[in-house]
Amino acid sequence: MSTEPALMSLTAVAKAIAAKKLSSHEVTRSCLHRIAEWQPRLNAFMAIESEAALKAADAADAALAKGHHRGALHGVPLAHKDMYYDAGEVVTCGSLIRRDFVATTTSTALQRLKDAGTVRLGSLQMVEFAYGPTGHNVHYGAVHNPWHVDHITGGSSSGSGSAVAARLTFAALGSDTGGSIRMPAHFCGVTGLKTTVGRVSRAGAMPLSQSLDTVGPLAQTVEDCALLLGLMAGADPEDPTASTLPVPDYMDATRGSIKGLRIGVPTAFYVDDLDPEVARVLDETIAVLKKEGAEIVPVELPDQRQLTAACQLVLATEAAALHKRWMIERPQDYGPQVLMRLQNGLAIPGVSYLEAMRWRGPALAAYLAAVTGTDAVLAPVAPVPAPTIAESDVGNSDGAEAVIQRLTRFTRPVNYLGLPSLSIPAGFTKSGLPVGMQLIGRSFDEATLLRIGAAFQRATDFHALVPKLA
Amino acid sequence: MTTPTAKEIKAMTDVAGVPVDAEVAARIANSIGPAFQGFAPVAGTLPFDLEPAGFLLVQTAKVSA
Repeated sequence: MSTEPALMSLTAVAKAIAAKKLSSHEVTRSCLHRIAEWQPRLNAFMAIESEAALKAADAADAALAKGHHRGALHGVPLAHKDMYYDAGEVVTCGSLIRRDFVATTTSTALQRLKDAGTVRLGSLQMVEFAYGPTGHNVHYGAVHNPWHVDHITGGSSSGSGSAVAARLTFAALGSDTGGSIRMPAHFCGVTGLKTTVGRVSRAGAMPLSQSLDTVGPLAQTVEDCALLLGLMAGADPEDPTASTLPVPDYMDATRGSIKGLRIGVPTAFYVDDLDPEVARVLDETIAVLKKEGAEIVPVELPDQRQLTAACQLVLATEAAALHKRWMIERPQDYGPQVLMRLQNGLAIPGVSYLEAMRWRGPALAAYLAAVTGTDAVLAPVAPVPAPTIAESDVGNSDGAEAVIQRLTRFTRPVNYLGLPSLSIPAGFTKSGLPVGMQLIGRSFDEATLLRIGAAFQRATDFHALVPKLA
Repeated sequence: MTTPTAKEIKAMTDVAGVPVDAEVAARIANSIGPAFQGFAPVAGTLPFDLEPAGFLLVQTAKVSA
């Protein structure tokens, strides 16, 4: 066990608090200490609530002393992407438009974590209205990558990726509509789980695209993600789109061997035009999985470019429809890049949008047919490691648009198909930037992804490495 | 399926009630072009009897590995 509580994993610290080996106060103070050190470099937090956090931690300790253990996360301090409604708290959604918006309800996902006993540390930065893949935000400033502060975190869950990587919070909720959990996980070297559409309730989570939005965690380990998913998943009367399918024991899944599992590696698209260091990490990941007993098999997937295109049509149209009132009434209050992305949706005819929606079923059926005989598909999260903040700043860099388009190439097909995908830290570049790989599963089969990811993390230590203050 | 031109986009945004100028319309046409081109092989090819809930039926169907 590390002497600095903030460096522990979520599952380890939760157990230590429950066993009274550490107090919530000690743990919360340790996180606040690291936040004070790192926040000036990272800009990962939107709001830091030190006093309230310590008060809540003291209350958690007092309750435990009286024998009241609230749940699996009793006294564990956490912060989340600033788009999860928390009654009575300001929820900015990374925007100027909602700078003073005070939520009157609490999102179901967040409430379920609170019911398990969490302590609120504050809120985390994000891309304005979660509509951008880099981590830039003209209103609140870019979030920085703790491994190399000149580089992006990825977005839109930029603060979540940065804060978990720097061990300022044990885990954080993100959201993934086009890659917004997996990209920060990849660029920042943490574990991130994009859930199946419908696995976790979206009630009280800021919407971007009703067909594509998913709620999921970023954390240090696969086990941490399994713990959080188990607490959050399941039916919700507040969100009839949340599935009523039973919730498996995800923690149990992390203990299984992967001997005999068949993992597909695409023969095209996800292996094309890779940065050499990403290609090397893919090869090394395959080698580890083989050593752990998995069988690696080639898979020929349907044309993924068509899925990306369909995803763009759906996302752009739904986002424009959601934002239309503010686009009319308050266009000046959007950042220029976000307004541009929203305007794109105005130019998509209704028939094109509905065709893209109608194709989802056949496209998913074709994908599932192609992966028959495999338990999951392994692919890079992105073809490149984190670019610099400067080179991906649209408006200040000529090639930025091309850089950005490349980032989401490998994430959007998964969003269109609504599939789960687990991003795991899988290596580093020579210059010290993290590289992640994604395991793509069948609908509602997060358990198999967690099983494979946990086995990978038992055999490697990329997830346990911590960035140092320069 | 063809990508809307800047002139067509100008008209569409007017109809939508969120008008944009010619320069923005040209930028939008350029930006959404790849999505239209990428989806072109699928557009106009889908069978009649997909609904209701085609995606949900596939998503929740039991599939053996």
